[in-house]
Amino acid sequence: MTTARVDPRGIGLRIVVVLLAVPFAAPLAYLLVRTIDEGGFWEVAGDAALLGPLARSLGLATAVALATAVVGTAAAWLVTRTDLPGRRALRLLLPLPLVLPSFIGAFALIAAFARGGLLERILGPLGVGTLPQVDGFAGAFTVLTLLTYPYVYLPVAARLRQLSPSMEESARLLGSGPLETFRTVVLPQTRAAIAAGGLLVFLYVIADFGAVQLLRYDTLTRAIYSNRLVDPPVAAALSLALGLLAIVVVVGQRSVAGPVRSDVRREGGALVVGLGPWRLPALGFVGGLLTLALVAPVAVLGYWAVRGAAEGSSRPSSLIGNPERLIEPALNTSLASGLAAIVAVGVVLPVAFLRGRHGGRLGSVADALITGGFALPGIVIALALAFWTLNSPGAVGALYQTLPLLVGAYALHFGALALGPARVAVTGVPRALDDAARTLGRGRLSRLLSVDLPLMAPGLAAGAGLVLLSAMKELPVTLLLAPAGFPTLATRVWSAAEDAFWADASFAALVLVALSGVLTWLLVVRREREFS
Amino acid sequence: MRRVTVVVATIAAAALIALGASGCGDDGDALTIYTGRTESLVGPLLEQFSEETGIAVDVRYGDTNDLALLIDTEGDRSPADVYWGQSPGATAFLAGEDLLAPLSQDVLDLVDPAFEDPDGRWVGISGRQRVLVYNSDLVSETDLPDSVFDLTAPRFSGEVGLAPTNGSFQDFITAMRVLEGEDAAREWLEGMVDNDARPYANNNAIVEAVSRGEVPMGLVNHYYNFRFLAEDPGLPSRNHQFADGDIGGLVIPSSASVVAGTDATEDAERFIAFLLSEESQRYFATETFEYPLADDVPAATGVPPLDTLAPPTGEQADELGDIEGTGKLIAEAGLN
Repeated sequence: MTTARVDPRGIGLRIVVVLLAVPFAAPLAYLLVRTIDEGGFWEVAGDAALLGPLARSLGLATAVALATAVVGTAAAWLVTRTDLPGRRALRLLLPLPLVLPSFIGAFALIAAFARGGLLERILGPLGVGTLPQVDGFAGAFTVLTLLTYPYVYLPVAARLRQLSPSMEESARLLGSGPLETFRTVVLPQTRAAIAAGGLLVFLYVIADFGAVQLLRYDTLTRAIYSNRLVDPPVAAALSLALGLLAIVVVVGQRSVAGPVRSDVRREGGALVVGLGPWRLPALGFVGGLLTLALVAPVAVLGYWAVRGAAEGSSRPSSLIGNPERLIEPALNTSLASGLAAIVAVGVVLPVAFLRGRHGGRLGSVADALITGGFALPGIVIALALAFWTLNSPGAVGALYQTLPLLVGAYALHFGALALGPARVAVTGVPRALDDAARTLGRGRLSRLLSVDLPLMAPGLAAGAGLVLLSAMKELPVTLLLAPAGFPTLATRVWSAAEDAFWADASFAALVLVALSGVLTWLLVVRREREFS
Repeated sequence: MRRVTVVVATIAAAALIALGASGCGDDGDALTIYTGRTESLVGPLLEQFSEETGIAVDVRYGDTNDLALLIDTEGDRSPADVYWGQSPGATAFLAGEDLLAPLSQDVLDLVDPAFEDPDGRWVGISGRQRVLVYNSDLVSETDLPDSVFDLTAPRFSGEVGLAPTNGSFQDFITAMRVLEGEDAAREWLEGMVDNDARPYANNNAIVEAVSRGEVPMGLVNHYYNFRFLAEDPGLPSRNHQFADGDIGGLVIPSSASVVAGTDATEDAERFIAFLLSEESQRYFATETFEYPLADDVPAATGVPPLDTLAPPTGEQADELGDIEGTGKLIAEAGLN
């Protein structure tokens, strides 16, 4: 079956994939060079003291991935398939927690919910006692779940928009309740998207430093960061171990998740499931999620901005007193992250096609390399690209600390975010349509443009949206590889927060959230509508 | 089809903009400065340097440690002419890799010898003092300790926050190893662990937690509480200084160096001399609450003058760079 489908011109696709996959091997190759150079990998890998951080990394990542799978899928289904009130606005707001950099998002959540924090001060007069301390596993689990559920929400919502509701309609007509329909019909069809999103969350948590550091949960990434200058060979060996671990997880997950099903696209209008008496609880769930993940941190940032505005605005470098100082960073952020989203989707698309249409080992290797790039801490990606760029001849070396290198680094770091949704989108295109177009004499490019891309648009837009939001908040790669004098909103937030200029940091972070809302609407929400 | 044309045109236009932007961003003649200081604090100072001297400046702001690692990775191809970090540890790491050039005597003469490298590879620019920040609602002033060594006493059990992965904390431990001896430092770290000292991410997180009352006190640099109180004067957090000469009151310099292999030594030294001018030093005192390390510039209002502090002296600047030993000691004590 599969072999009969292999297009002889799949060879061309394979060559493209090889060329595209090589840069994605750069970080691991760099770590390998460093580790071979310095030695000590086996001492580090065999160090029993690291078993604890390793187990904590894996445990936390698994727990957060499972929680976001549930929360993200439920939210996606509710806003795409039901008569939930305000679902249009919710669709725009639900992806936004992703854009809060964890060093400021987690900091704001701690200030809001921790012992003696803002919530306690507000509730104090109402007779509510001391709140529990927010830290350790429970703290890291809660904060990371709130900040990362969009990794599941966006691809699953995109998948649901691509799916025919006819089976759900039939199930409903045959008397199944909403929950029963969800379990027997929706879940099997969205399983691949949920698994892809959950994997992204898993890898994000493994690589996260900002949140676990603030919440004092001692994971492998903390060991990498605290050793990076003190003992660079250990940091390199640990990073290599992390990258290899990620690849094992990716390969394992792909083989367990199995193939993605292809489905007939829906015809006619969208199905709207009447929630009936469940409308209020459902609204409470989505509203509560947004309140915790977006409204609470944004409210804290707003409070800090207003509180410090009077004091901070007299300094010449104040952002609140001189909001025009954020115009250039906002443009830079939009340009770099917008380009990164386009480049990332363009780069992973051939890999998604190879995986979806032809299968084979090359696709799996490229898939694992691209996905693994998301599990490495940003500082490793930045140093690896600095190393390879500066050690390359002429033209490539001249790209060092230029915009093309920065965009390439984003695409390399975040390509995984576009790849999952792109794979689901490719396999979601019914082969019959493609075959029909071929029978009608349409060439490969024409089929791609007139059949495949329009059908895949919601999935690709979701992938682009994930890359966009992640690149907008990216910090270590931006600080080290951006062109000189190329401030972004994230670097402005960081610069102010680092020296406790909370009003300025909050103001810049709020602009970042607002800008991400506008760009999400332009690139994801509006596009979804246009194509559906 | 039309839609696809639009997409392709957008990509092409974006690529052109990208090439244009990258073309003008790379100014080969500018003085390139990598600094762990933030734009919020030192941005105005750098603008002033360019205005006064006509020397164009490319600044890369970033994490002190990450920028040191970047210069190490770049090696002799580094675009950086000046490295200006927050912490002697990261500077010593670069010195150890032979990536810093010796400074001229003219520049070294501007600074108190206690705050420069004996081999002349870095000079202190401004100082931050280690203090104990405490919550004045929870802790009475009379209960505060005279020495950082008192914090291992049972009455401070579970009461003290510290930031074991933070560069300033590590510099403080390195100084303790040099001045008080390896054993004393190990004993203190182990004593703090036994006393349930609470690890936090950094200075900000400690001051924030102390002001909320989550932990009654914490070891930080003096500067942060000034900033927190500037943003919210109602906070109960206060700085407490250890007694004169106590290692707990160490003054940690931010330091500047010329990167080896620069082709702009003259401009780089001119920049460092500018940072040590009275004008810049006054800026640190008044705008960033830091201690001027050159000339006779008084500290900011509310900050005790440096010469009344009697900070511990005698540490060998080059020994402050043994961050590897310090990192191991902290990890062995179980604080990571």
